[in-house]
Amino acid sequence: MSKRYTIGSFLLEIVMIAVAAVFAFPIYILIVLAFKSEENWREAPLSVPLDPYLGNFSAGWSQAYLGDAIFSSALVVICSLLVLVAIGAPAAYFVARCKPRLGYGLYVFFLAGMILPFQLALIPLYQTMRDIQLLGSPASLVLFYAGLQMPFTIFLYAGFIRTIPRAYEEAAKIDGAGELLTFVAVVMPLLRPITGTVLILNGVFIWNDFLTPLLYLSGSDWATVPVAIFSFVDQYVTEWGTIFAALLIGVLPVLATFLVLQRSMIRGFASGVKG
Amino acid sequence: MASVEFRNLRKSFGAVEVIHGIDLQINEGEFLALVGPSGCGKSTLLRILAGLEEATSGDIVIDGQVVNTATPRQRNIAMVFQNYALYPHMTVAQNMSFNLRISRLSKAEIEKRVTDAAKLLELEPYLDRRPAHLSGGQRQRVAMGRAIVRNPAAYLFDEPLSNLDAKLRVQMRTEIKALHQKVGTTSIYVTHDQIEAMTLADRIAVLKDGHIEQVGTPIDLYRNPANKFVAGFIGSPSMNFIDCRVRRTTAGLQATLPGGNEIALPNGLDVRQDKEITIGLRPEDLRPGKVGSQISGKALFVEPTGAQTFVQFESDGIQMMAVIDGSEDVQAGQPFSVSLDFSRIHVFDKDTAKRLY
Ligand SMILES: Nc1ncnc2c1ncn2[C@@H]1O[C@H](COP(=O)(O)OP(=O)(O)OP(=O)(O)O)[C@@H](O)[C@H]1O
Ligand SMILES: [Mg+2]
Repeated sequence: MSKRYTIGSFLLEIVMIAVAAVFAFPIYILIVLAFKSEENWREAPLSVPLDPYLGNFSAGWSQAYLGDAIFSSALVVICSLLVLVAIGAPAAYFVARCKPRLGYGLYVFFLAGMILPFQLALIPLYQTMRDIQLLGSPASLVLFYAGLQMPFTIFLYAGFIRTIPRAYEEAAKIDGAGELLTFVAVVMPLLRPITGTVLILNGVFIWNDFLTPLLYLSGSDWATVPVAIFSFVDQYVTEWGTIFAALLIGVLPVLATFLVLQRSMIRGFASGVKG
Repeated sequence: MASVEFRNLRKSFGAVEVIHGIDLQINEGEFLALVGPSGCGKSTLLRILAGLEEATSGDIVIDGQVVNTATPRQRNIAMVFQNYALYPHMTVAQNMSFNLRISRLSKAEIEKRVTDAAKLLELEPYLDRRPAHLSGGQRQRVAMGRAIVRNPAAYLFDEPLSNLDAKLRVQMRTEIKALHQKVGTTSIYVTHDQIEAMTLADRIAVLKDGHIEQVGTPIDLYRNPANKFVAGFIGSPSMNFIDCRVRRTTAGLQATLPGGNEIALPNGLDVRQDKEITIGLRPEDLRPGKVGSQISGKALFVEPTGAQTFVQFESDGIQMMAVIDGSEDVQAGQPFSVSLDFSRIHVFDKDTAKRLY
């Protein structure tokens, strides 16, 4: 492969920069407007705020009840992830390590769960949640997300477990560990990298999901971050600076967790499954 | 410490049978080497004994107890895996103490055993390291350490030294031998390396295609191989084989080599005229000199190793190997002839490969 810088690579670079700019533009507007006072953005909406205005953030925080919303979202995300990992990892372990034919059948079964559009089930599930009186409680969301994301979680875990040599589990058996201890003390630590991926992908999805909490939490005091910002937008439709500041605050927890987890994920990969 | 026995053991993977009825008795405290070509079922046999694989039929007996359905934990057998299989997320000390922690030994006892093992294996500086940060030889010793901290019924070794360089291999071989002499635990040792088998084992079992070909002491297998396969497998460089035909003469039995050379056969041999046989000549039994039967030819390759010289030579289209004293002067391309002591000749039936003498 030639590494020379040709006119072709120059053109490619131009295209890539243009694409990046298109993607970055909304984010630019979001950030810039969040730091401008109202009269400031009417004058020069696109300029860089040289003298950043922080009032939007405090206004957004209190008017959108972001403190409560972040707490609700975090509660839902953490509980859902706990259930997903606690059930998904052992289930995937079984799928990956049982007799090949059964394992394949289960794999296809869970794959089907990933392919079916979940929107179809939204309303019947709504009725069920109402019947078991979970509507309006975060528990309904935890139940919903745990079920919705389980196939995907098992899919990720099972694929990873298949790449781990059985020798580690066999060594644990020789050392006298039973099935449970083998899983907890030997297999689970080996799954660290994929657990990071599972947490990030599911966490971001659940944190950002809007439709489900809108439906299942409506009429209650609970609201997740997207729902809180949405109802806030409804009321303060002209105050873009405040709205964007609220959006930024809503993104921050996800971004922070992502960065932390990403580092441990990379560490997990670097120390690797060798030995 | 315990005795171990296989009784008519069979194992199939799907429709394919890979172990075809093995009977083998390993005495308490004995060191048994299991040798054989790749794919003959050595690892499978160890795994069945350890409880990682289920036998299709037959019995596994440990200390007089049939343990066919016992878990690995109940069998209490320590195993060193070929690729070590150290837990990557545990330190060396944690790797070695995993079994002891499961067995709920006291902290002090665990500490003592790990320290003792680490001292023996020269692993003390690495106790807090992860396996990923160890060299191959160090990992191998951790794998050994994981076994020796225990007090198992038996040790199983599955080619534990095959990933090491030659020098380390010899050093570890000595350490394994010393360890066995010290603790005297029943051990089964799988290896490709017949020198390892010869030097370590009390007895060797030669396996081929899921059958046991022969079991015996190293010297017994070397001197009296039951068949051509064992004869070729034990001893290095391996035995020379020549197909030939028996001729009865007034002077006794003679073998006519393909090129017309005649070799005197041992007196005790009882075969008819024109019987097709394979004679086996150990390279170290071929000596330059003029006593007994002669084989003359031309040296092809000469490989001096110092004390000994390996000579690959050709006689009437048959290639053979001789190991001669390092002080002899042999040149490649020059005529080369050896004499052989006919009492050292091995004779096999050409059709059945069974030993005739
Ligand atoms: N899980 C398995 N499924 C199907 N066949 C298997 C399985 N494990 C082993 N075999 C087959 O059983 C035979 C014996 O394998 P085994 O691993 O015991 O050989 P080995 O003597 O240890 O060889 P090597 O010296 O190469 O390690 C081989 O033919 C192998 O293909
Ligand atoms: Mg093997």
